[in-house]
Amino acid sequence: MLLALLALLFGCQAQSGRTPLTVFAAASLGDALRAVELAHEAAHPDVDVRLTLGGSQVLRLQIEQGAPADVFASANAAHLDALQRGGHSTAGAPFAVNRLALIVPVDNPAELTALHDLPLAARLVVGTASTPVGDYTERLLTNADAAWGGGFGAQVRQRIVSREGNVRMVRAKVALGEADAGIVYATDVAGSDPVLGVPIPDGLNVRAAYHVAPITGRAQRAQADRFIAHLQSESGQALLRRAGFSAVP
Amino acid sequence: MRVVGTVLAATLVALVVLPMVALVLGAAPADWVAALRHPMLRPALGLSVVSTGVSLAVIVIGGTPLAWWIARSPGVAARATELLVDLPVVLPPAVVGVALLQAFGRRGLLGPALDGIGVHLPFSPAAVVLAQVVVASPFFVQAAVSAFRGVDADGMIVARTLGASPGRAFLTVALPLALPGLAAGAALAGARAFGEFGATLVFAGNLTGRTQSMPLAIYTALESDIGLAVVLSLLQASVGVALLILLRMSSVRRP
Repeated sequence: MLLALLALLFGCQAQSGRTPLTVFAAASLGDALRAVELAHEAAHPDVDVRLTLGGSQVLRLQIEQGAPADVFASANAAHLDALQRGGHSTAGAPFAVNRLALIVPVDNPAELTALHDLPLAARLVVGTASTPVGDYTERLLTNADAAWGGGFGAQVRQRIVSREGNVRMVRAKVALGEADAGIVYATDVAGSDPVLGVPIPDGLNVRAAYHVAPITGRAQRAQADRFIAHLQSESGQALLRRAGFSAVP
Repeated sequence: MRVVGTVLAATLVALVVLPMVALVLGAAPADWVAALRHPMLRPALGLSVVSTGVSLAVIVIGGTPLAWWIARSPGVAARATELLVDLPVVLPPAVVGVALLQAFGRRGLLGPALDGIGVHLPFSPAAVVLAQVVVASPFFVQAAVSAFRGVDADGMIVARTLGASPGRAFLTVALPLALPGLAAGAALAGARAFGEFGATLVFAGNLTGRTQSMPLAIYTALESDIGLAVVLSLLQASVGVALLILLRMSSVRRP
């Protein structure tokens, strides 16, 4: 009985007959990579792409602890650089660019119309300092301080009521209406959740460069390289553009 | 047969104990120094201790009369209530968190009414307490009900015939007899409240010094510094062990 259950538990992984390719990806890449997954599997019927989405910092930690990932797509360069230093991956290559966006619930209770209004929000939700989006948010506030002065960043930080572990959790708290505003990626605005985007001036906005690399010491290295090549190909780039990402210049 | 049983039992013990041993071995002295000085530790520990204390007080004050009624009342209402208060035990904490948002969130069932009197529960320390009360109270109520059921009805009747009021009979006869069971339930509920994670993360959010309890601090530390997470985990675990010892001591009935 116990053995049968164990067999079932481990058997789940090797049923399809296709080579599984495990792709760890930043939460914000979810919609785009689900499209790439379908395109890649259509082009390579022998490969079964398995997406694991989460905060880039959590995925990096799991890879460092030996999680069976073949490819890691991070929302910044830093987490891949750390993996490379630890001998877990080869050097990351940029493959997509994102920007930050301010979001509010559909009824916009704090009546925000511009980034400058952000101190009006009584409850602001952002990413933790170790998430790429939280790090980019800090850079945005630094840029705003440099442009506007007057302790804008300090005022905004006082409005933070929660720091979430990945960008989709930030969006969820805003979509639920619990927070007056949140800072996410531009690609997260047009999701299924009811949130409105408030523009961030281009001059202050932050460029988020997504990096991807194969994880070292894995049997599926050739398939991993092919998946990354697909991501960088015209077909992959078109799917990323459709999800709101822009190309690496 | 006996050998097989021993091997199976030893395997289970190893599965449970080994991670704890690894946790103790995993903390380097340098990690301890860094962790004890870390700005996240003091607010998290403080919030956890205070919120658990408040939660436990709420649970014991409300749970004791509730358990007494459930134990003494033969009616259908008492059986139904007994079942309902147990519900959080079988629900994953994340479900409790979502349910709390649906009840007390800004767009929840009571959200607009609470908003009207200026109360905003989500993202507040009160939300931390509320999450703990919901997930931990069944452990106290269950223990208290069975403790009260073990109180001999004859003792109560004798007290009443000697002229004691129902309240006085409860305080002088039932309560002292049930006390070890109540204490055991309180220790278990306290441990559960101190360890509450999922419902807190969903309902109260994660902000150092306001809603970041120890389990949330461990989760946040894990994202950037495993050494810190290990030491925080050990601190958290030692409180659990202390409560477990308290539990064992209180459940040993006096002769």
